[in-house]
Amino acid sequence: MSDGEQPRAGNVVPETRLRENGKKAGGGNGDNSNDMDRRALFRVGVTAAMAVGSVALGLGLRTRDGHGKSKTLPKLKDHRVDKIQGAVEMAIVRGPDAAANVRRAVEAMGGMGRYVKRGERVVIKPNIGWNRLPEQAANTNPDVVAEVVKLVAAAGASKIWVTDVSVNTPEQCFARSGIEKAAKAAGATVVRPDAPAFREVDVQGKLLRTADILFPFVDADRVINVPVVKQHGLSGATMAMKNWYGMLGGQRVKLHQNIHLSIVDLASMIKPTLTIMDATRILLANGPTGGSLADVKQMDTIAVSSDEVALDAFGASLLGLLPTSLGFIVEGMKAGLGTPEWRNLKTEELGG
Amino acid sequence: MRIILFAVLAVIPPTLIGTLVWQGRKAPPAEYAAASARPSGQEADKALRALFEPPPTGTKIKEQITLYDEKGLFDFIDGAAPIFIDRHFRKLAAAEIATAEGSDLDCAVYDMATPENAQSIFDKEKSANAKVVDGWPEAIAGPMSFVFHNTRYYAKLTAFDAKAEAALPAVAHSLKEKMK
Repeated sequence: MSDGEQPRAGNVVPETRLRENGKKAGGGNGDNSNDMDRRALFRVGVTAAMAVGSVALGLGLRTRDGHGKSKTLPKLKDHRVDKIQGAVEMAIVRGPDAAANVRRAVEAMGGMGRYVKRGERVVIKPNIGWNRLPEQAANTNPDVVAEVVKLVAAAGASKIWVTDVSVNTPEQCFARSGIEKAAKAAGATVVRPDAPAFREVDVQGKLLRTADILFPFVDADRVINVPVVKQHGLSGATMAMKNWYGMLGGQRVKLHQNIHLSIVDLASMIKPTLTIMDATRILLANGPTGGSLADVKQMDTIAVSSDEVALDAFGASLLGLLPTSLGFIVEGMKAGLGTPEWRNLKTEELGG
Repeated sequence: MRIILFAVLAVIPPTLIGTLVWQGRKAPPAEYAAASARPSGQEADKALRALFEPPPTGTKIKEQITLYDEKGLFDFIDGAAPIFIDRHFRKLAAAEIATAEGSDLDCAVYDMATPENAQSIFDKEKSANAKVVDGWPEAIAGPMSFVFHNTRYYAKLTAFDAKAEAALPAVAHSLKEKMK
């Protein structure tokens, strides 16, 4: 599949344009032989530049190992499953029990067995970025993460990883969020973002060519995104697409310089199997860190889809934002990652 | 032809310099304006650390105090960093504090360039649902949180349980008294 791929503009200058340029360059002096020499020289120059560029591009996709030898970098797989004609494309469930909301929403989407087959290795990616309690709504709700682990285990997964690159100290974030304890109890292997957990990957992005990525994203057969809905100081909101910042090591400052395009670039690199969006509690202000319960709103909602743009548009509406006011939603739509018109999808809404 | 080209190339540098000088003279909005008179970097760092030495009454610092500069701020608050940097953020001191009863609270003190910058970030982040603290209009308290500004400092305290929440006002007052 190549939904997120854009045709690349070539570097080749059309022959007719070369000729026109040549005419202009030599125009008026009547020295045709000189003109011919220049054209020939120009062609040689262009050809040489293209050759050098091709070699450089090839070398750019390779890197050196610790012994100075070149190696080919791994690439991220496409983790999506085939679409089924007429199937529900988005499920929204409201109710007081977060775990029950997850079960009902996944069931409405066809059940976890549709997305995870027996023996497959699965990585689950919540937001564990912050040294915050579940009540402070800066991280994904631990009950939601635990329920996703249980559903994936019941589908027959041979390995289940739960991981994230925390912004604050990982030990504090994984413990205080309640996610480490809940995920382990449900049967997952929790991977903290320590240095050996990263692997250099050829991500083929527009802003990032290569990136250090947590190894489960490279090794897994299926990827399940489990973001939380929050206001965000720079991007306006952080939900499904922005959650992919948490698979990268050490590039946050660079990626925040062009936030909306960076979010879409990352979302184009990884093609998740499913996204289960946690809106049990949402952070309305002072995101992404939060802290005050005055900024938290209890929504008791779970939304599930394989369309991250649609989920982000739905999440924006929970935050009281117009989806088209968020640059990354507009750019995500332009990049072909999905539609902000989530009501146009085949949607099942339950509870509430 | 060469004379024209030379003339164009000769005019570009002074034009660029002139433009930069002219833009530099434009006054920034008051809330973004940096102070001309403030302690040097080392003195300011020393003063920032001194807020926690000794620790607020009845508490202890759990781990070493960490200072973050402009670049490192993204590693602490991620996408919230630019709204601080736009307001002349200088440095952040972050510490996790334990109360005598063993409850934890998170303490972040932002050293801004001027008191106006500190007030600006306080106004920007003030939650609509948080309550102004009685007798302290520069402080707001939300459940599990206490936020205030004083001189050029902006402080955010976050509790992780009810006992720590009860300790927040005393910790805030202790920090305020040391802010010169």
